[in-house]
Amino acid sequence: MTLRLLAASALLALAAPAFAAGPVGNIAAGQEKSKTCASCHGATGNESLDDTYPKLAGQHPEYLVRALQEYKSGKRKNAIMAGFAAALSDEDINDLSAFYGSQAGDLHDLSKIDER
Amino acid sequence: MKRILLPAASLVLALATAPAFAKGDPEKGKALFYTCTGCHGIADYKNAYPTYRVPKVGGQNEAYLIAALTGYKTGDREHPTMQAQAESFSDQEIADIAAYLSSLKPAK
Repeated sequence: MTLRLLAASALLALAAPAFAAGPVGNIAAGQEKSKTCASCHGATGNESLDDTYPKLAGQHPEYLVRALQEYKSGKRKNAIMAGFAAALSDEDINDLSAFYGSQAGDLHDLSKIDER
Repeated sequence: MKRILLPAASLVLALATAPAFAKGDPEKGKALFYTCTGCHGIADYKNAYPTYRVPKVGGQNEAYLIAALTGYKTGDREHPTMQAQAESFSDQEIADIAAYLSSLKPAK
């Protein structure tokens, strides 16, 4: 009984941060899969090779998932990203988004806009 | 061969270095961005439908922001709220907003 309870609480504890963070992705797996992306977006997603490429580091993972899914489906049109996104599974997309979302970078929301 | 390659290369260079957009004024952009803070200025603000967090745009790259806003304006990029907002902006205003946002550094 105690063991079962322990196991159940352990599972819950593991699952809780995933619920809070939105899409469930594996940061380490995402980092591994991000090597192709790094050639344009930089190792952490904060150093874009070109100013027309967005910074990804610290972006909301949910937004990144949505962007990649829309590139994959063709709803969002970009010749370069369409090719890469087509090759990604849902799991790949979640992992990559978790990885970039976890990185520190220049991106920030503007909730402190008046304190600047 | 070289005779073909050289002009081709210079064309690529010219295209890459030509200013693709009007120079933005960050001060004007700041004033224009006031409306945007209703969604982009609230930490973890969620889009109503479909539900997801609106992107962080402070500190984003200038040319990317121009491309994104222009995409919404022309309808290439779909999002009801963003299309409605971007339609009202001139190219100069889009450049101003992009200049402002890209100039922002994260609060320490």
